[in-house]
Amino acid sequence: MKVAIIGANGFIGSRIVEQFYLNGTHTAIPVVRKPASLALPSRFAIGWRLGDALDSGSLAAALNGCEAVVHCAIGDPRQIEQMPAVLCEAAEAAGVNRVVYLSSASVHGQNAPDGSSEESPLHETHSIEYNNAKVRAENAFFSEATKRGIEGYALRPGVVYGPRSRWIADLAAELRGGRAWLYEGGTGICNGIYVDNLIAAIGLCLEAKSGAGQAYLVGDRETTSWADFYHLAADSLGVPRASIHRLPELPVFRKPFRERVENAVAQPWVQSLLPAVPGKVKQVTKTLLSSWNPPRSPDAWSLPSSPQPRITEEMALLQQCHCKLPHTKAAQTLGYEPPVPFAEGMRRSFAWLEFATSPS
Amino acid sequence: MQSNASWRKFSLTKARPPGISQTIVTTQTAIPVALIGCGAVSQAFYLPTLRALSATGEFAVHSLIDPSASARAPLAEAFPRAGQFTTLADAEMPAGGLAIVATPPRFHAGQTLESFARGWHVLCEKPMASASAECEKMIAAAESAQRLLAVGLYKRFFPSSRYLKDLIAGGQLGVLRSYSIVEGGPFKWPAATPSFFNKAQTPGGVLLDIGVHVLDLLVWWAGEPESLDYADDAMGGLETNARATLTHRGGAQGMIRLSRDWSTANEYRFEFEHGLVSWKVNDANNLTVQLAGTSAALRAQLVTPLRSNLNGAEPQPLATNPQSFIAQLQNVAAAIRGTQPLLIPGAEGIRSLRLIETCYREREVLDQPWFTPVESNRAQELAVQS
Repeated sequence: MKVAIIGANGFIGSRIVEQFYLNGTHTAIPVVRKPASLALPSRFAIGWRLGDALDSGSLAAALNGCEAVVHCAIGDPRQIEQMPAVLCEAAEAAGVNRVVYLSSASVHGQNAPDGSSEESPLHETHSIEYNNAKVRAENAFFSEATKRGIEGYALRPGVVYGPRSRWIADLAAELRGGRAWLYEGGTGICNGIYVDNLIAAIGLCLEAKSGAGQAYLVGDRETTSWADFYHLAADSLGVPRASIHRLPELPVFRKPFRERVENAVAQPWVQSLLPAVPGKVKQVTKTLLSSWNPPRSPDAWSLPSSPQPRITEEMALLQQCHCKLPHTKAAQTLGYEPPVPFAEGMRRSFAWLEFATSPS
Repeated sequence: MQSNASWRKFSLTKARPPGISQTIVTTQTAIPVALIGCGAVSQAFYLPTLRALSATGEFAVHSLIDPSASARAPLAEAFPRAGQFTTLADAEMPAGGLAIVATPPRFHAGQTLESFARGWHVLCEKPMASASAECEKMIAAAESAQRLLAVGLYKRFFPSSRYLKDLIAGGQLGVLRSYSIVEGGPFKWPAATPSFFNKAQTPGGVLLDIGVHVLDLLVWWAGEPESLDYADDAMGGLETNARATLTHRGGAQGMIRLSRDWSTANEYRFEFEHGLVSWKVNDANNLTVQLAGTSAALRAQLVTPLRSNLNGAEPQPLATNPQSFIAQLQNVAAAIRGTQPLLIPGAEGIRSLRLIETCYREREVLDQPWFTPVESNRAQELAVQS
């Protein structure tokens, strides 16, 4: 099958191209927005195309002649919300009937409530705006796909790790820098999925005879704690497990005023009003916001300090999660069985890190 | 997309610039310049450089040549007196002027030869050509036409790279024992066209791109290696990751890692008999040095030499990265006027390309340890076929 991969230069997209091309599973057509993004796809003698995931005209031209499309482009929350409509419009114009859209398990929140599944109602009041954008984007995807008669499948992976994943590279940097931490001993559940397992699910969506118009949670087979994830990573890097900070409590995250304003401005109804606001007012507002709460200068009379844990709201929520998101529906409807075990996925991920960053 | 054909087929749209005479270049007159190729490198590097050197009267931009009007536009705005041409054949400039060839590499040889035929000197962007055989023709043509052939390898003009050359040649820190060079990161060059990734237009990947600068500096500093091993990740296309291990006369061992894929440390590190030196990529006037037996490293800016008395002027920082690029053009101008030797002629530019060709001849596919056995086997097959 001739399959367009939108976002083929990214972590997931580049691995899809590698897999499809090297295994001969499908004819992958990498689609990227700009020439500079062709570095990874062009390792192969492959027919890439340029197309903008935010412009239906250019995207339709890029999808021409394809039988299916996998959408794994990323963007800021506003772009994430715009992409599904552009995708479906372009697919319809190009005559592509099957579309696999990468949604995210974060539609349930990073700290998904116990018992969460595809049947759980979604809301748009998450504290992290990315999650709300993904909820709106997934809804828009199904709405647009239905309207245009497209067979749409949405996958909801959690923490996707593997070669070129930020979860691997960032964690390695935190571990090596002495800033990694675990909350309550790392007993929270890491809803991880090795990238090849996600691609296996994508492959099933491309071939499925039924199950269109629905979202599917997908993950690794094992139930893995954050301690499992961090300890295996530390062992792979030769970093002592004891160097990982143990946190009995987490800070309360209050969004700074500036971020709250930015989130409010990102709302669709605010965006629709913005063209009426004079440019000078926008500029003055931006200047005022950028000068709000300037960082304090460090005290010159302080001792050199040891590395401190770097706690983000996203990671704090993730480590509090005690729900293993099920992939029962994907198994029953699509026949999903994750082919790569967690330990092997981590081994391959850190083998890539060694490949990418080792000086020798 | 800018193709080979697009360089040839566009029709003539020329406008003769006023005020440029057909005089021979002297030390008094500005040297006329024809900029062949108005893409990203011309816009980002040659535009500000030629603006600065036009203001000093060293150069006068005479012709802008590119099939794309949008590519020419920013340069035309900066140099409104320059004529605009869609093809080199249509362009006009007096003999003795300088043609700067800044097109995709496959055009370099042909455009350089055409420029010599019209009596122009040439500054050819790196890589000098697609193959060393083309470089040899370019060098022979320069000699035959009695014109200068300079190659755009401006990193040799960095004060830091000159300092390293001094250390390696002079032995102030003893013999060079080993080095490691790690350079690159996700490809972000603002390429207007996909020519970088079109094997028909650009026959190599990261090694032919940033590797040209790396290997040029290396052969300049330490000479050609006696032996090397090379591997990359091209699987029928162009490599994004490349590795080489090299051995030099005298026993120095080297390792080079280049990437367009993932962020690297962007650092060159040299282990001498009596100390370590570290240089960050593109940092034109800073080095970090640790003398053997000392407890700390010195991170230092290169400045004008100290004088023995205490009443000398305060030392001044040496050239920055943009100033080094300007210095390259100044050297070409001085060489055309006969007041300085040309520092990077074609005979120097060809050296890195020969080494790159040796690498590609010795090429093995990189082990990509996240591949399944089936994928690894297929990668091997594809690498052998290409």
